[in-house]
Amino acid sequence: MSSEPIQRRVSYIGDRLRGSQCTICGKEYIRGKNYCGNCGRKSFGKMLDIDFFYDKGTLEASTLVSQPTNRFVKMGSYIYGIVAFHDGKTRVPGRITDILIEEGKTDISCFDGKDVVPRFRRRHSVGRSDIIPTISLAFTPADGYYPHQQYEIVNPKKECETPGIVGYGVYTSKFRIKEGNMERSVPFIDEDAVTAAVEAGKLAMIHSGVDRYLINKIYVGSESNPYAVNPIASKVAQVLKLGNVEGHDGIRSVDAVDTEFACKAATSMFKDAASLVYYLKANNAYALTIGTDNSQAAPRSEVGGELDHFVGFGSAAFIFGMQDVIAEIEGWYSCTSDTPDFWRRDLEPYPRHGGRFTGEPAYFKHVIKACKTLMKQMNLQVEDVDYYVPHQPNLRFPVKVAQQLGFKEEQYMPGLKVGNFGNTYSGASPIGLAAVLDIAKPDERILLVSYGSGAGSDAYSFMTTSQVSEKKQRQKFTVSHQIENENLEYVDYHTYRRFKRGL
Amino acid sequence: MKLESPAIIGVGRTNFGEHYERDPESLIDEAGLQALDSAGITRKDLDACYLSDYFLQVTNKIGLEEGFFSELLELHVPMEKTRSFSSALLNACHAVQSGKYDTVLVGGMEKMTDRWDKIRDDLMLLEDPWSYYAGCTPEANHELLLKGYIKKYGISGEQLQKFYMALAKISVKNHQNATNNPLAQYTSPITVDTVLKARTRACKALGLFDFAPISDGASALILASPEAAKRFSDVPVHVLGSSSATDYITFPSREDRTGFISSTLAMHTALKQAKVDIKDIQIAELYDQSTLLEMISLEDLGFSRRGKAWLDIYRSCEDSCNFYEIDGSKLFVNCDGGLKADGNPLGATGGAQIFEVVKQLRGEAKSRQVEVDGESPRLGCVSELEGFGTKAYVHIFGRN
Repeated sequence: MSSEPIQRRVSYIGDRLRGSQCTICGKEYIRGKNYCGNCGRKSFGKMLDIDFFYDKGTLEASTLVSQPTNRFVKMGSYIYGIVAFHDGKTRVPGRITDILIEEGKTDISCFDGKDVVPRFRRRHSVGRSDIIPTISLAFTPADGYYPHQQYEIVNPKKECETPGIVGYGVYTSKFRIKEGNMERSVPFIDEDAVTAAVEAGKLAMIHSGVDRYLINKIYVGSESNPYAVNPIASKVAQVLKLGNVEGHDGIRSVDAVDTEFACKAATSMFKDAASLVYYLKANNAYALTIGTDNSQAAPRSEVGGELDHFVGFGSAAFIFGMQDVIAEIEGWYSCTSDTPDFWRRDLEPYPRHGGRFTGEPAYFKHVIKACKTLMKQMNLQVEDVDYYVPHQPNLRFPVKVAQQLGFKEEQYMPGLKVGNFGNTYSGASPIGLAAVLDIAKPDERILLVSYGSGAGSDAYSFMTTSQVSEKKQRQKFTVSHQIENENLEYVDYHTYRRFKRGL
Repeated sequence: MKLESPAIIGVGRTNFGEHYERDPESLIDEAGLQALDSAGITRKDLDACYLSDYFLQVTNKIGLEEGFFSELLELHVPMEKTRSFSSALLNACHAVQSGKYDTVLVGGMEKMTDRWDKIRDDLMLLEDPWSYYAGCTPEANHELLLKGYIKKYGISGEQLQKFYMALAKISVKNHQNATNNPLAQYTSPITVDTVLKARTRACKALGLFDFAPISDGASALILASPEAAKRFSDVPVHVLGSSSATDYITFPSREDRTGFISSTLAMHTALKQAKVDIKDIQIAELYDQSTLLEMISLEDLGFSRRGKAWLDIYRSCEDSCNFYEIDGSKLFVNCDGGLKADGNPLGATGGAQIFEVVKQLRGEAKSRQVEVDGESPRLGCVSELEGFGTKAYVHIFGRN
């Protein structure tokens, strides 16, 4: 890839697989056209924009690529083929992703004829200072780990008085590493914090049924953005087509911003999102908040390598609004102190931590303070809380704190998913919250207490509504689906490091 | 046969392979001088030059090659550059036919080995960036075409084995032909076993010995108007038909993914132009970027019936003949070894194909000379592709 404009044009079309359809003869084109080649002049102004982002295609023919071109070498062997959409009206080239091919062992013939879902991934390797190319010409089988789901806009039924969560989505990859009593989510080689954010956002759109035009604010919290300067949020807004486009300049009416505060970068913005949708003059019906991380850790042999036993990969997205709310925000409390217990200096690839001081003076002190203060403010007793969801850097800290706070196993265990996905940094407590929302009944209280090194903590009290049950059927890719799935693939330490390093 | 068409009065080429020590422009210099010599004219007789290279700018970054050529020949005539040799010839024919020029040099060059480590990325990006972004390799498209073909014609079981064997025999035949071509990149014969072993090694239907190599080389010819041809040459080879056709850039998005409609269309027009019957064509140089493409070309161009080319090949090669017997008539294909063994320096490839046909038609092909009814062939055809069937060129040549 030679220049930024080319890069942008390819991303614009390829990230969401855009095309157009002639409303006269029905012919479909990939890449978009102003007129139809068949119908000619009369079709000007009669072309319909289409995209294949939420569609399902069929892998018509495929072949194994075992000697990729240079930019694809890091992917190893993969399956490449022809994917047909809309009964063959459109055909595109596609790479099947999320498969670890073992030469001679993996049966690739079984992929022909399979239904496949477009996935948003990195396109290929580039130099460390280049723009990271992405594309949706990557597919996974629709009957695999990641199911095909339609996005249908649902007209809201109920206006609420209190803002809250309208829909949510969690994305973790299909690869896991299992060591001791922990399983951890491992990104495939073409994934990173950006691709996970898009996938989680997509799942939240599906779950909420919210019209994408009405989302005018997006926050993405991460500490593993592959760029030092360049937001993840703008990519997500572009790919998910959030907000309106007035005119033909492709610029969207959406405010996109990345936030950073170690693991609480996303939860910190929950209240901002809720406040924004509550403020009528903002004319902002919905706000999307995503916590995403390809959690970084030095290799075990290096300083700070202890983290390598705990880090995961995942993203959680929450849409806040005032209509058809599934969990209302009852209250919040946030606190901060200058406690550098975990940090990553500019240009350093891996974070460092304060060892034993990451516990008592950092995590414990802030989480307990935030939780107790909020409960006091709201006059809550331990038994008034149905679920307690803490930040979860490992299995020990959150349990110890939960017990100190007086919570019982049935209150804190449903939201404790670090044993399944590892520490997903900004996504950690949000994934816990999603796991609880997956199983919550109406009128249950959820206490979310995040923690971010550096250090601070956000405590939120959510009260579920009847909508929590009604919307459940819209999401197949639940947290439990991602935990207990026959398609999960377990990798060894070497592969895990290779995947985490990425393209 | 209309012999008032432009004629080739001289051809030249370098040997194909790796030219580590040489500049790309020195290759075209060599081929060009050879062509001038064989035509018996001097550089001052040239009215224009039509040059071709597929991606010399990418591989060698030499700047405007026309300028180099001008400096080499001390010529300031008009010079145009196209991507393939056939395209240059097509344009040269148009110019000569229009009466604008009388004597034109058509030349092509490529120097691919200088950039061997990045060449597959370059080739794929030039072929179709979108397929490249999706992870396609130059070989993967051939395999998808193969799959599509097998599926369309329901080839299975024993038939499928024969099908693969037929493809292997194409490679063996081309390498055998190249043993008589001192300018070829590979001049040693291979066996069916070599081809099959390479496939096993690659765990693929097509292996290393099914694909053409990357090469350096140049080729050139002198095209003259019929009147000029009479003046300069006793044995002019006329360009009876010259045509091209174009298809979508992205292979998966094409209507037919079991062949190249561009080849079919180009051949159709070329035959009409030449006013000859396809059955009268005795020698063909096909674009065997892979063994599969030689087979598919037989069908696309109309020599074999659809779905039957592999059977024609299989039957013809059973007793190691160097021609294909199709519906009772003989067709000599890729007598110089084809792209597979002669080499494939993209911008020069078409020139080498034409070089061969001209030599064969003139009866100057020495040890690889083929004969039909006791004399050298009278009609030959050359097909060349750009990209993966995105552009197809067909030229039909004939002698008096």
